[in-house]
Amino acid sequence: MTSQEKRCRFEEQISPHLKSAYNLAKWLTRSHEDAEDIVQEAFLRAFSAFEGFRGEDAKPWLLTIVRNTSMTMLKRNRNTGATIGFEEALEDPSERSPDPEEMLMISCDREQVRKALEQLPSEFREAVVLREMEGLSYKEISTIIGVPLGTVMSRLSRGRDWLRRILSSPPSVKREGGAGLR
Amino acid sequence: MNCDDSRMYLPAYLDDELDVAESLRIQKHLSECGDCRKAQGQHLALRSALRDSDLTAHPSADFSKRMEAALRQAANVEARSQRPSWFESLRFGSFRWIPAAAAVVLVTTMGTLLVMNRSRSSHDELIANAVLAGHIRSLQANHLVDVPSSDRHTVKPWFQGKLDFSPPVPDLSELGWILIGGRLDYVDGRPVAVLIYKRRMHNINVFLWPNHGSADDAIRQEDAQGYQILHWNGAETTYWVVSDLNNAELLELGRALRGH
Repeated sequence: MTSQEKRCRFEEQISPHLKSAYNLAKWLTRSHEDAEDIVQEAFLRAFSAFEGFRGEDAKPWLLTIVRNTSMTMLKRNRNTGATIGFEEALEDPSERSPDPEEMLMISCDREQVRKALEQLPSEFREAVVLREMEGLSYKEISTIIGVPLGTVMSRLSRGRDWLRRILSSPPSVKREGGAGLR
Repeated sequence: MNCDDSRMYLPAYLDDELDVAESLRIQKHLSECGDCRKAQGQHLALRSALRDSDLTAHPSADFSKRMEAALRQAANVEARSQRPSWFESLRFGSFRWIPAAAAVVLVTTMGTLLVMNRSRSSHDELIANAVLAGHIRSLQANHLVDVPSSDRHTVKPWFQGKLDFSPPVPDLSELGWILIGGRLDYVDGRPVAVLIYKRRMHNINVFLWPNHGSADDAIRQEDAQGYQILHWNGAETTYWVVSDLNNAELLELGRALRGH
């Protein structure tokens, strides 16, 4: 396969997932510029590793690279003040799934949903984004994040519980933003 | 199925991740239990809020054009780097022109046999290209290390959770090889560990990942585009070492790594 043939195949199989790649990077970094930089670096890495791509599902293959590139960048920037969430933040065992009896209606206000998702610690956010926006299976998510299936399920479940709780709280609590995270 | 089970399985049910038997059990429970139906309603409300297409982030309008251009450029760079290595060493290697010239003589006498007979398999050749590209990229993009540290006890744990294996990180400072950090890279379609050692002004990239094939401790050497590449398959780990350091010294490092 010549380099040009490789590029054609790459553009056929991988490039269609550019938007998903960007969406994931954007939700992980919460920055448009960082997301575009990451996707560009990830695409070049993917291109150089493309011989090793055995024609399995292209989307999870690409998103694995995007995710790892994002994590590398986030960790590099952590010293300079950028933040990412920590798993311990949602680790409170006393927090049960919300009881439907106690719950108000979930807010469908788009901006509130966006804010809530942005505040969700990244471990949970990435699972929710991959499942709800990108429509990936638990198994694909487990491959991308590099954690066991059970961990994917528990992160999804805790992340969604937290979102439901935030989005169904009365407005006064909502204004405190990420208070529930600390 | 009771309510506790139902609440536990509900997300997987709604995500289509349950098998038929479990799905039927939960459907039956939902048809009988109003509370669990309410919980289901909450799950579905959140789902539709999250699946609002306006929440999906979109890149700039010209982004895909820019990516196309970047890929075209990468393909061109790669096409240039895929010239046979004897040709490159003839052009750039100041000390290696004699063996290279000998190689040219051999090639002219033996036709293309020499090229075809090179000892490495074509798969190894692809990997050699990939690790060389990774080495050059790491220097160009100013992205040599993800975790800068001379302490192997910092570098080794850093890889945890990023790789499905734990790479050996030997301390070779007594032999004059200074560990300057680690990095994650992609070779052969998988994430791999890269250790970066330094000697004088030369950076050495050591790519490693688990060896699932047969072990062959013999160190193979190749020069490409003025860089030296070493490769061997240890019992547990496959090594590829790239640097612009001279042949003899790099071989020293190869032996030291192999000994660990």
